Amino acid sequence: MSIRHGLLALLSRGPRHGYQLRVDFEASTGATWPLNVGQVYTTLARMERDGLVEPGESDDQGRVVYALTEAGRAEMERWFTTPVVPSDRPRDELVIKLAMAVAAEEVDVAEVIRRQRTATMRTLQQLTRAKRDSTQGRARLLVLDSMIFQAEAEQRWLDHCEAVLKEAR
Amino acid sequence: MTVVALAGVTRVHGDGEAAVHALKGVSLQVGEGELVAVMGPSGSGKSTLLNIAGGLDRPTSGTVHVDGRDLATVRDLAALRRRSVGFVFQDLNLITSLTAVENVMLPRELDGVRSRRARDEAMAVLTEIGAAALAGRFPDELSGGQRQQVAIARALVGERRLLLADEPTGALDTLAGDEILRLLAARCAAGASVLLVTHEPRYAAWADRVVFLRDGLVADATDAPMASAR
Ligand SMILES: Nc1ncnc2c1ncn2[C@@H]1O[C@H](COP(=O)(O)OP(=O)(O)OP(=O)(O)O)[C@@H](O)[C@H]1O
Ligand SMILES: [Mg+2]
Repeated sequence: MSIRHGLLALLSRGPRHGYQLRVDFEASTGATWPLNVGQVYTTLARMERDGLVEPGESDDQGRVVYALTEAGRAEMERWFTTPVVPSDRPRDELVIKLAMAVAAEEVDVAEVIRRQRTATMRTLQQLTRAKRDSTQGRARLLVLDSMIFQAEAEQRWLDHCEAVLKEAR
Repeated sequence: MTVVALAGVTRVHGDGEAAVHALKGVSLQVGEGELVAVMGPSGSGKSTLLNIAGGLDRPTSGTVHVDGRDLATVRDLAALRRRSVGFVFQDLNLITSLTAVENVMLPRELDGVRSRRARDEAMAVLTEIGAAALAGRFPDELSGGQRQQVAIARALVGERRLLLADEPTGALDTLAGDEILRLLAARCAAGASVLLVTHEPRYAAWADRVVFLRDGLVADATDAPMASAR
């Protein structure tokens, strides 16, 4: 995803100026993706060049309010109707690290797993506490849930690695 | 205050050649208001640990204290269990000839609470967990997840200070599972103590402390958080 798609989605709720888009963006993603105002304005400028948004009047503080164009709406729709492919995901350091631990000599792989599992569980506990105490909107909750599912997957994978390696001994 | 304390607990099932060392020396404490989760692979001793903590099974060696009382010296274990300990069993153990609400009432009635009041208490818990509509149904008229909810209600009813739950979320989807954990955490915040067995990291993560069991031994644990973190 790009920032521009996020901005398109936020603008579908009505015209906004750059600062407000930044605030909305962080509120929706649970601040997992911090943006600075500069990035927002640069992106808006490119989107205007590409015909996805158009500037409207300035508000009383001189800030330009942007609105979606037809093309912008179409691009947003295209984005939401196209599934994400995992091909461009960054490589996971933990996966590489464990593979290397198995390949290397004199590394106690079980110990690497044990340490990681406890650390991952602490992360999962923190995320769960944040979820339990969250009073913010549904968007933020779902972002937290996503991180919880990811940490959980990692934990299960670690258990699986442990079981496989134990079997192999 | 410590509500359950296991010290150097071992448990050997069977003897001679066939002996299974289910627990090999486990020490574990659960404090008042604490939610502790036990994770571990199949056969690592989780259910054995829970049964021993609740006085359903006795250790081969080591000691178990519940509310400061050494279980080895308690005469009427059944009464202690009924009054202070709520169980959610891995196989649920619902009585098939009783409706959901009757199943939930049962421990209270056994405790001498009048039927009318026991029913009110049972309905209150069923309502709290969002299962009031199931009250009149028999266990074989319920889905797996619904049976699980009834078993949880039965463990929660009355003012039990200690809850021992063996995979209470097994048949539930993640939303219903989260709700159960939210409920257990709320009970802890109100002063109860919970020892929860689960193989699902997402539920274990609700706990104040997670203990990893491997081959009958505690392999690792996340530390208890600061009291202020609650
Ligand atoms: N009554 C029994 N007689 C003989 N062996 C037993 C008995 N109960 C448990 N065991 C053995 O003790 C070990 C621990 O069993 P336990 O039920 O505590 O495992 P668990 O961690 O709860 O597993 P699961 O995740 O499959 O429920 C296992 O090897 C099991 O076969
Ligand atoms: Mg078990």
